[in-house]
Amino acid sequence: MKGRLIGILGLLGFIVGLPLAMKRETETTSPASADDRLVILSPHNESIRKEFGEAFAVWWRGKTGRSVYVDWRTPGGTSEIRMVIDAGFKAAEETGREGIGVDLFFGGGEPDFTGQEKGGRLVKLDVFDEMPELFGESGVIPETFTGERYFSANQVWVGTCISQFGICFNPDFIQRLGITAPTQWRDLGEPAYLGSLALADPTKSGSVARTFELLVQGEMQKSLAAGGTAAGGWDEGLRLIQRLGANARYFTDSASKIPQDVGQGNAAAGMCIDFYGRSYAADLITRDGKPRVVWIAPMGGTTLSCDPIAVLKGAPNAALAQQFVNFCLTRDAQQLWFQKPGTIGGPVDRALHRTPIRRDLYDAETLALTTMPGVNPYEDEGNFTYDRALTGKVFNTLRTLVKVMCIDSHEEMKAAWEAIIAAGMPEDALAVFQDVSRVTYAISGQGDPGFDSRDTMVQAARMKELGEWFRANYREARRIAESKTMGTIRR
Amino acid sequence: MMNRNLAWGIALAVVALSAVFFLYPAGMVVKQAFEATGADGETVWTLDFIGSVFSNPVYREGLWNALMMGVVSTGLTLLIAFPLALVAHRYDFVGKKFLGILVLAPMILPPFVGAVGIKQMLGVNGAFNALLIDAGMMDAATPFDWLAEGRFLGIVVMNALHLYPILYMNIAAALANLDPAMEQAAENLGCPPWKRFFRITLPLAMPGVFAGSSLVFIWSFTELGVPLVFDYARIAPVQIFDGIKGLEKNPVPYALTAILLVISAAVFALAKWVMGRAPLGATPRPKGRSEGQKIGGWKGLACAAFFLGVFLIASIPHAGVVLLSLAERWYGTVIPDELTMRHYIEALGNGLVIPSIRNSLVYAGTAMVLAVVIGLGVAWVVVRSDLKIRGWLDALVMMPLAVPGLVMAFGYLALSQEGKPFAFLVGAGGSPFFLLVMAYCIRRLPFVVRAAVAGLQQSNPALEDAARSLGASPLRMMRRIAIPLIAANLAAGAILGFAFAMLEVSDSLILAQQAQHFPITKAIYTLLSTLGNGTELAAALGVWAMIFLSCAIMGAAVLGGKRGGLFKV
Repeated sequence: MKGRLIGILGLLGFIVGLPLAMKRETETTSPASADDRLVILSPHNESIRKEFGEAFAVWWRGKTGRSVYVDWRTPGGTSEIRMVIDAGFKAAEETGREGIGVDLFFGGGEPDFTGQEKGGRLVKLDVFDEMPELFGESGVIPETFTGERYFSANQVWVGTCISQFGICFNPDFIQRLGITAPTQWRDLGEPAYLGSLALADPTKSGSVARTFELLVQGEMQKSLAAGGTAAGGWDEGLRLIQRLGANARYFTDSASKIPQDVGQGNAAAGMCIDFYGRSYAADLITRDGKPRVVWIAPMGGTTLSCDPIAVLKGAPNAALAQQFVNFCLTRDAQQLWFQKPGTIGGPVDRALHRTPIRRDLYDAETLALTTMPGVNPYEDEGNFTYDRALTGKVFNTLRTLVKVMCIDSHEEMKAAWEAIIAAGMPEDALAVFQDVSRVTYAISGQGDPGFDSRDTMVQAARMKELGEWFRANYREARRIAESKTMGTIRR
Repeated sequence: MMNRNLAWGIALAVVALSAVFFLYPAGMVVKQAFEATGADGETVWTLDFIGSVFSNPVYREGLWNALMMGVVSTGLTLLIAFPLALVAHRYDFVGKKFLGILVLAPMILPPFVGAVGIKQMLGVNGAFNALLIDAGMMDAATPFDWLAEGRFLGIVVMNALHLYPILYMNIAAALANLDPAMEQAAENLGCPPWKRFFRITLPLAMPGVFAGSSLVFIWSFTELGVPLVFDYARIAPVQIFDGIKGLEKNPVPYALTAILLVISAAVFALAKWVMGRAPLGATPRPKGRSEGQKIGGWKGLACAAFFLGVFLIASIPHAGVVLLSLAERWYGTVIPDELTMRHYIEALGNGLVIPSIRNSLVYAGTAMVLAVVIGLGVAWVVVRSDLKIRGWLDALVMMPLAVPGLVMAFGYLALSQEGKPFAFLVGAGGSPFFLLVMAYCIRRLPFVVRAAVAGLQQSNPALEDAARSLGASPLRMMRRIAIPLIAANLAAGAILGFAFAMLEVSDSLILAQQAQHFPITKAIYTLLSTLGNGTELAAALGVWAMIFLSCAIMGAAVLGGKRGGLFKV
């Protein structure tokens, strides 16, 4: 037995020794030996954290000769971060402290930052005074673009890069389904995608909720352009969401799950943010060198929104935090977002596949060094500009509606859709399936009174009432469709 | 019988500990289920949300599905684990020692990448379909979607294959405590093997069966990860998860959590009551260890094949993770068409890895030492005292198993903010050591308690009384008599608890905030978000953790085996 024990202990020693022997040295200083320290709460992925952390350390040393340790706090995605900030400030309020021991909130969607701004948890950024040339009329960071804000009117947050939701698809899978590649959101509502669509969950992410809002607004703008009404476009938008939902395999809050599943062939197409799409497209290829993921910006369907940064109230290292914000808007930092690894001024380790916010970065020389030489979002605006007046008030309503109409009712919805497809898309069944008469633009278009009620019981009652109504519709639509299929068989 | 004062002392101490480190933090979060915001903005107490869960068919169905999932998974787990344990108990066959450890492997599936591993194997474009297509048994144009079809059954099978080691270890420990004389007597009196099993072996092994089944039931009843892999959203744990993470401040997930807790406790109490009615007297001291009947030939091979078969099927997800960690490209083929070691070099070379190993060992190790001490105390009161509250105490320590990880983690997070009651638990430099030790300990305590209770139910109190009457102090009696007699059970519980603490996700992600304090699960999570080969890096570190944990468990088994208990290595 002793021999066996020694054997196992030896094996354990070897296993533990492996990472010890393989450890790589990095530029980042250890917390104990650093002159300065910065605490950043961030949903950014590890590659972004690493490149920005190390580049800032180099920049700071060059500027001041001091070393800095960046303490990244990563409790999860934006929902976890929101809960961490809420818990922190709630306790701070109760105990009379100002801050939560965190300096910066870096990355996420504009809605996340606007929410924190409303809560009074962000402080004014110095960058607007120290680098004024970036902003204003002739500045390289516009205040708005495609209808999206790139810095807050109160100057408490500013975008550092921009991105858009789009469609990623697997060419092999699309070929197997015998359809053409999607070019717009509408295409994903085709019955061919049944059970093979990967959708992001609008109830857990502000940016995804915004994408669903844009989807509806896109239909409204189309309707208006064709001489129709906003209300008609609204109904069409909701029906489009229904078809997408019916095709969906799942609704996920994991940003990487969708391109991963698409690249692996577990899903044909999905809703995916640009940089994940580009990154997976570059990394996942077939044996003969063809991409397994293709990412496109759907025609007339998405805006370019920014990924902001903000200094939190009561930041323990407020001055350094302001310096980090300044750094993020320098040319040096902006180049990190899209240059190839190893190029001068580019990332050290990995391409980040993101589009910088400064428009002066998109010159031919710089673009030649990037992973996306043909891209210039500022020139490539497409034909869609967000109109806040149309759907600005339904941000909350729409995501709750998606939950009630598609996520909570997914089983009934899928069953009905399958039956309708099997029966050859009969009009009467489709009409029941796509009935949105209880959530018209007149009722819910300015924010559904039930969903937006401050009384949680009223909210719950409205959700229950609508959920039961939708499920009853789906069951009825299925019944109608199945009765036709049975009829055909009998005949 | 136990000294009443001592019993009260232990019981009160455990209740106080549970109140502070479980009821308080979990209650802080779950209380939102009972708070409504009235029209004028004030907070009012209400049971309306609990009511609204039951009146909403979607949630009713979610609860029912979860309950069915728990019951059916437990049944299937038992069908796998009992024959395994029985075969291992009765027979000595070729490769038994090795196979006996191998079948425990499925329980250490690394977090996050386990799901990817399953998809790589069973996805539409996965290895299994590729195999069928290669073999000409499936049309490449219409591959079968294993994960989407027959999801309920799929989840149940996956649960059973993941959880059977819990039952196997508990039953094996129970059988090890059986007095072989009882079975031999039945055999000598002409009792046929099947009758012997149902009349002698099963009733005597019931404490172990109950211990394992209750853990497996609560686990699968509240399981989140497996339904998520199968994209099965209409089940209470997924509904809770979706609700908690939602942007909306919604009380429904907390109401569902409260209901889940009550159901878990009720099922546990009911099962215990039924058990209590079974005629299970104090069994006499084992007069010898049953060494198992040596069998060779095809019978021995059949036993070995049974073990090997269970292991192979149960480790399909693990195989997926291992292959993923070695894959340069793995797309629509049975195994990756290009293999590489670069993910290992990159993952293991990451600066996070070494501190995270040390942290995980320290957190999980300390938590388990604490859990063994507390668990032994609880088990003693539950089995050896006549306190009225002992049933409640037993249920109380089981409940942390049924609370969603996020709920506990956010409870701890809210209470550990500066100026809050748990702030003192945050060490110098923001170290989460005490927080995580307490969180791990409370959450994994059920494994130790169940194992210890089962052991004590089987060991004969007369021996303890004898030691005491001969003048041994309680401590000496414990050290020399009581603990050695239940060593197999304790080892089983502690090993399970330790392994599951090492793999704990929610508390680790939320409470370990700074990189130098990350446990290994958070290091895996961090690598996962690397662009490009994040999944493969996470898989590589996951495989490393799996091997490390296996060796650590084998080491513990060798040490524990000295007592001739669970693993007769």
